[in-house]
Amino acid sequence: MKGRTASRADTQDTIAAIITPPGEGGIAAVRVAGSKSRSVLARHFSAKHSDDAEPHPFLMRLGYFKSLDGEILDEVMAVFMPEGRSYTGLEQIEIFCHGGRQVVKKILDEILKGDIRAAEPGEFTRLAFENGRIDLSRAEAVAEIIAAETEVSYRASREHLLGNYSEHIDMLRTELIGVLSEVEASIDFTEDAPEVGADSRKLLILVDSLVTKLSALAETYRGGRIISEGYTIVIGGRPNAGKSSLFNLLLRKERALVTPTPGTTRDYLLERIDLDGYTVNLIDTAGLRQGGGKIEREGQRLAKGMIAKADLVIWVVDLSKQNWAKLLTLDIESLGSAHILLLGNKIDIVKKAASLSLSASQKIIGASCKTGIGLSKLHREIVGRIEKSMPDLTSGLVVTSARHRQKLKESIRHLRLARTKIEGSVSPELVAYDLRTAVSSLGEITGKVYTEQVLGRIFSRFCIGK
Amino acid sequence: MKTEDKQGMKTHTADFDIVVIGGGHAGVEAALAAVRMGRRAAIVTMDPQKLALMSCNPAIGGIGKSQLVKEVDALGGLMGVATDGTGIQFRRLNLSRGPAVWSTRAQADRIGYNAFVVEYVAKQKNLEVIDGVAGEILVDSGRAIGVRLEDGRSVSARAVVVASGTFLGGLIHIGEKHFPAGRIGEQAAYQLSESFRALGFEISRLKTGTPPRLDGRTIDWSVCEIQPGDEPIPFFSSRSRRGSFTQTPCHLTATSEKTREIIDANKHRSPIFSGQITSRGPRYCPSIEDKFHRFADKPKHHIFLEPEGNGTDEVYPNGFSTALPEEVQREAIRTVIGLEGVTVTRPGYAVEYDYCPSHQIKPSLETRRIQGLFFAGQINGTSGYEEAAAQGIMAGINAALYCVNEPAFILDRSEAYIGVMIDDLITRSITEPYRMFTSRAEYRLALREDNARDRLNHHARRLGLISDAESDLFLKLDSDTRVTVALLAKTRVKVADLNRLSSQLKKRDSLTLAELIRQPDLELNELLPVLVRHTDGQRDGMESLERAAIQIRYQGYIDKQQREIDRYKKLEHDRIPSDFVFQSVHGLKTEAREKLSRFRPVSVGQAGRIEGVTPSDMAVLSVYLKRHRETARADK
Repeated sequence: MKGRTASRADTQDTIAAIITPPGEGGIAAVRVAGSKSRSVLARHFSAKHSDDAEPHPFLMRLGYFKSLDGEILDEVMAVFMPEGRSYTGLEQIEIFCHGGRQVVKKILDEILKGDIRAAEPGEFTRLAFENGRIDLSRAEAVAEIIAAETEVSYRASREHLLGNYSEHIDMLRTELIGVLSEVEASIDFTEDAPEVGADSRKLLILVDSLVTKLSALAETYRGGRIISEGYTIVIGGRPNAGKSSLFNLLLRKERALVTPTPGTTRDYLLERIDLDGYTVNLIDTAGLRQGGGKIEREGQRLAKGMIAKADLVIWVVDLSKQNWAKLLTLDIESLGSAHILLLGNKIDIVKKAASLSLSASQKIIGASCKTGIGLSKLHREIVGRIEKSMPDLTSGLVVTSARHRQKLKESIRHLRLARTKIEGSVSPELVAYDLRTAVSSLGEITGKVYTEQVLGRIFSRFCIGK
Repeated sequence: MKTEDKQGMKTHTADFDIVVIGGGHAGVEAALAAVRMGRRAAIVTMDPQKLALMSCNPAIGGIGKSQLVKEVDALGGLMGVATDGTGIQFRRLNLSRGPAVWSTRAQADRIGYNAFVVEYVAKQKNLEVIDGVAGEILVDSGRAIGVRLEDGRSVSARAVVVASGTFLGGLIHIGEKHFPAGRIGEQAAYQLSESFRALGFEISRLKTGTPPRLDGRTIDWSVCEIQPGDEPIPFFSSRSRRGSFTQTPCHLTATSEKTREIIDANKHRSPIFSGQITSRGPRYCPSIEDKFHRFADKPKHHIFLEPEGNGTDEVYPNGFSTALPEEVQREAIRTVIGLEGVTVTRPGYAVEYDYCPSHQIKPSLETRRIQGLFFAGQINGTSGYEEAAAQGIMAGINAALYCVNEPAFILDRSEAYIGVMIDDLITRSITEPYRMFTSRAEYRLALREDNARDRLNHHARRLGLISDAESDLFLKLDSDTRVTVALLAKTRVKVADLNRLSSQLKKRDSLTLAELIRQPDLELNELLPVLVRHTDGQRDGMESLERAAIQIRYQGYIDKQQREIDRYKKLEHDRIPSDFVFQSVHGLKTEAREKLSRFRPVSVGQAGRIEGVTPSDMAVLSVYLKRHRETARADK
């Protein structure tokens, strides 16, 4: 019945982390340990040579690391180690890549999208020791390594950048405990204080505010990427709308071939430019339309992928077309929720700058790539968008650790679950379940364990006791 | 002289196997558990007629506490049966909060309960009640060997359980007056307190309080809100055989503006504010003067008028605990709505008492300092009859096991509220009397009233705490529940037949009862009548039907929680030997080293729950433990 002993297989998650020291180096490595390690290779690794298709123990293979969408992130070397013969003693893989810090982080992020947890600091070494992979005589040294690794990690989160990262997390956690204690009070003290009852409207406001704050923090992970990798702008639109003309204008050189024939750009073009001090990856894509040749269709498929991942899409509209508004409405729908900036090109031909908008929220910047009208306005708008998506560096609140982001996301996920339950009038014990999980996820970032805080909050807020 | 008894153990002849100091809720359960397990036990008490007396409010159960009562009951304890046998009103609380926190609460008959227990104890073979005041724990080479009474008599035993309640160094305060007493009109145990100091125990003080008692004949009931009991009557124990009866209602009233004026004007005369009492009282059970002080913006406070029993007119004004001078109490209580002409039969008071901070006990409740000496109840810093009974039964079981050199019986946080409580006690510094709340249990969804026996029946049977017949009765219920689960999964109902509920089940014509149960926005207690109707359920099948419905409803959560429990157990199984020297572990931070040496956790998981111990300390600790184990193995 109850109380069966937990076997290793039940309780040992598959874990992953970057194992090379931070900073730019020639090679960076990711380690994955646990029973699902091998499936990571199956999902993400494709060998360069067909005779290398299957992993063999300790055989280094050359190949590509692909994202779940199939995009190649880097050329990598990968090695597989069976259970009992790896550093940790568990089934394990290691992936070595060349692309520097950002690429290795991206690789780790992709791996963590599977059912794989970010390793806790010192966890690989502890597993190695627990599984007898490290000699007992070295126990003391191991303890020191673990202590150092965890200390460094927790201190890093405590003293993150300008020093208030951990305070910020603690503050959010305290706020979350406040929400939880409202719900807990409505369970534990209905008898003592009948007036205690969680007001669901108030709870929803508190939960929403927390979700917003936590999401903003988790989003800084993306901001950190923008700083190091640049801000990606994709120019998209229907064929012959003037995308390549705009591309050339922004580059200030004739890079893309411009002709009056629709479908001239069939591949995509990427250039790195400096825009008011920000590094921008500018991408020109093939126009999206029905039909076209095989090569053009392939170009369109690529374009769609680029658009989905862009930080900003400049969607170019040909205002000289009679039915532009109707087409645009269709296009916006099919683009989904990407960050879009609408540019109405060829305004010099139509000469009616007034009321260029689809709706109140979707303004169109009128411009002409031929005459240069409206381009400075576009420039200002782009810079404004970049600034908005940059993390606030003065506060020092940037999430750089994949582990922290995973915990933040877990916390957000459970807050959202709690929200749905509050809205659906589900019993408070189940709301509390999700809120508790959200609290402990946050606690795991700074190493805080569950304390008496909830009861403390209840007693200070409510007059409890008959 | 050495003798050999039936179980084949070598032992010195002793008057008893176990002597229990104190005949309250902890002491009685301890002695009864030991007797059930075949030991000879004695209870030393100042007044054999006052066994299991309710010193404070006449009620058993409530949120968090009822789960403890059900667990004590599942372990063969008396509290549930005694409450069922004599209670005057039963209610089920938290019905809209979800089945895991559904809680039973009974209004007890103070005199009836006490009489029931006195009679029950008198019928036990191998259990003696000794009229006397314990004065000293007798110790030989680090082992408890009995008790010396204040009148000079000695009682020898192989194990001693201390359940001394507020009597240990008890000091009562009423206004400016204070005098030694355990309860009002009863002496305190001061010599015993000295005995603990002499043995080297760290002793500290806590405070609690009680309201004045009232003459019900002088209350204007017409202005109070009536609180009736629930039907069908929710009894605690499956072993109770009591049928339906006419329940006695409670009443609800409130303080008035005038109450606040009187309390504010006299606050300085309360020992809590005058500085006469320095020890901490419970935040969840503040005195009325404390409530007006701390929540100054609250114009009035609820007062629950609870009858003390059917054979008495005395009424307990729950919510009016006070240590103000008697004349102020009298004046203030008469400003409560409906109490304008009330007669006070006994004054309220505050009581300070000694306790031994609970890092000094092991998870078995045995003290670290003296072998065979067990602590239960307020001596460990807890408060409440249910908390006391739960520790009492565990101390009794473990004292009984100790006598025959069997390993201790320990429940963990995932198995029982009892486990949560004892683990809290040994990993935390208690700063106020400890009371159970459901929020203390991290596996709350798995620790419910309805499954207390699922969790504990096998333990109770193995330890001999319940008869095989009782155990089989539960196994029958368990298999009935499984049959009912299957029935609910295959019984289809038409949505049109569900009347009021149907509006929430749009877009379908019919569904199984199991699917209906899983609708998250339908409250289970409201669904139960529907289930009864569609399964031809008879009264007898109610319990299995309710259990089945809860199981279906929570299956997803229970599976998730089980995975969390598995992870938790992994750390709990990383055991720390009792002779482990924390001071020698390099890499631990100083704070962690000090805390670990003080609390002496038995596992790495437990170490992690001690404040100031970080995840990196836990990792370092587990590395050292592994070396410690391997070295020990190599030495063998």
